[in-house]
Amino acid sequence: MQNEQMELMQRLRELEFAAVELNLFLDTHPENQEALRDFNRVACELAEVRQTYENKFGPTMNFGVSTSKGRWQWIDGPWPWQVGY
Amino acid sequence: MIGPYKMRLARAYIPFQRYGQVWSPAEGLRRGTIFPELFSPYIPRDKGSCGTCQ
Repeated sequence: MQNEQMELMQRLRELEFAAVELNLFLDTHPENQEALRDFNRVACELAEVRQTYENKFGPTMNFGVSTSKGRWQWIDGPWPWQVGY
Repeated sequence: MIGPYKMRLARAYIPFQRYGQVWSPAEGLRRGTIFPELFSPYIPRDKGSCGTCQ
């Protein structure tokens, strides 16, 4: 496993966690502009990091995020939950 | 008041959370929340002492 893959996956996990936290806060505070600003920042960086990861190491989700090039890449391991474990 | 520890049967309240400082995504994942005010790790204590009575 490449170091870069582990670092990108770790960043992806951090950003996804922060997105969920902000999502939960915004569910009860939909008008809060600061939280919304932070959520949008996290969502943007999350999309960028996901794109960078997928370009190099394949899909992070089986559907709904990216197309599969050349062959069905989802079965080419490791799956996201296997990265680093 | 109920039982040996003299506790009310039930009294729940949830103050409305304000948006203040938040931890970074990295810090938040480590601690389990990005909201400092919600950070409260479980710290095992001696069973004898009653945490709520202090």
